[in-house]
Amino acid sequence: MQRHFIKELERLKLTVLKMAALARRALQNATHAYLNRDEALARQVVDGDREINDLEMEIDELSLTMLALEQPMAKDLRFILGCTKISNELERIADQGVNIAERTVFLCQNPPLDPIPAMERLIEVVDEMLEKAITAFAEQNTEKAFDISKMDDLADQYTLEVLQSLIAYMAKSTPLTEKRLLNTRRSILTIIISRCLERTGDMATNIAEQVEFIVKGNKIKYQ
Amino acid sequence: MGNPMKILAKNLNFYYGNFKALADISLEMKKNQVTALIGPSGCGKSTFLRCLNRMNDLIPGTRVEGGIFLENENIYDAAVDVVSLRRRVGMVFQKPNPFPKTIFENVAYGLKVNGINNKNVLRERVEKSLHQAALFDEVKDRLNDSALGLSGGQQQRLCIARALAVEPEVILMDEPASALDPIATQKIEELIHELKTNFTIVIVTHNMQQAARVSDITAFFYLGQLIEVGNTDSIFTRPSLKQTEDYITGRFG
Repeated sequence: MQRHFIKELERLKLTVLKMAALARRALQNATHAYLNRDEALARQVVDGDREINDLEMEIDELSLTMLALEQPMAKDLRFILGCTKISNELERIADQGVNIAERTVFLCQNPPLDPIPAMERLIEVVDEMLEKAITAFAEQNTEKAFDISKMDDLADQYTLEVLQSLIAYMAKSTPLTEKRLLNTRRSILTIIISRCLERTGDMATNIAEQVEFIVKGNKIKYQ
Repeated sequence: MGNPMKILAKNLNFYYGNFKALADISLEMKKNQVTALIGPSGCGKSTFLRCLNRMNDLIPGTRVEGGIFLENENIYDAAVDVVSLRRRVGMVFQKPNPFPKTIFENVAYGLKVNGINNKNVLRERVEKSLHQAALFDEVKDRLNDSALGLSGGQQQRLCIARALAVEPEVILMDEPASALDPIATQKIEELIHELKTNFTIVIVTHNMQQAARVSDITAFFYLGQLIEVGNTDSIFTRPSLKQTEDYITGRFG
């Protein structure tokens, strides 16, 4: 019976990892579509969200069943609770991917803005945070989890830089009303994309906090 | 957590002949709290429980070192009257063991042994004990029927009533629900919650969920040693030691 339970725990872990891979892929595709003005890929991200939502429900169901039937204790209990919270974060991360993709569709249909170096760095750092969070969970490694909290400061800084550069751009933009309206709109959508990425970084940090809880039982909030 | 200490085991060693069954156990059990003793079979938890009212004295070849203090008195002092100790520290066993007497006589037995024979006093104390054991309503119309006609769960609550009748300060319970069905078990567990307002309870259980449900403090024993003791909510959610975690998550051995 115990072996059966350990197999069920492993199944839960694999399902969370599958969901994590899909959520990360959604975010990567959304940012790739943004950087490369790939409207078809952006639309693909919007359509692909259902599978991730289904996995979240599967994880909830698995967890509920294990809690009811096995009455887990200590680390097993923390693991199951942690998995439900992590799947919730992953679902929201995938939603951020969809948000980015939806804005990207509009941006692709209009002339491009000049490249924003801070945005490219933001995309890189957030993807790295997400990768580290998933690895920390897979390996149950709290040191990797701690690294993520340090990277979150960097993500916040790049988000601010994107905002500042686009405010500067809008301020010096053309006086012609229609073009100015379009510039403002493109700029705001790009700022929203940077906010989605910054939020994703926060969610990766939340996942890292859950790994800390699962492994050590500490409830922490990384600053 | 501010409850005063009720029983204290201090550097307790216990031997069955040459076999050391308990090694250097120090454990504080607080007033009006439920302390659960958990651990695999043979770990010493029942031996420890039986040390708390010197039930082990009845086993030939046993020996005790160290002390157990009921409030400030070492119960192993030569001057201690064991009968009076067992009145102060009552016990409920794994299998319900009512006497082949009436329900009333079962509960009144300890009182009579202690010299109480006034019928009114006896009736009052028997009824009070049956109320405390959450059994009165089920047996009030058949107090003169044989106790052996009760269900297993009722018999166990009767044994609890019998233990309560002599107004003990501490109740020791050795797997009190392991022979009972889930409904009877739930009643015993509810009863334990009620009883701790008036008594100090120490319970041995193999059922981890039961320990988690009923106790305030959990102590984990292994191979005669006290491995870890702590607040029950901490022990079952984030134990400090891997050995404890392995036991409560079923990964032992």
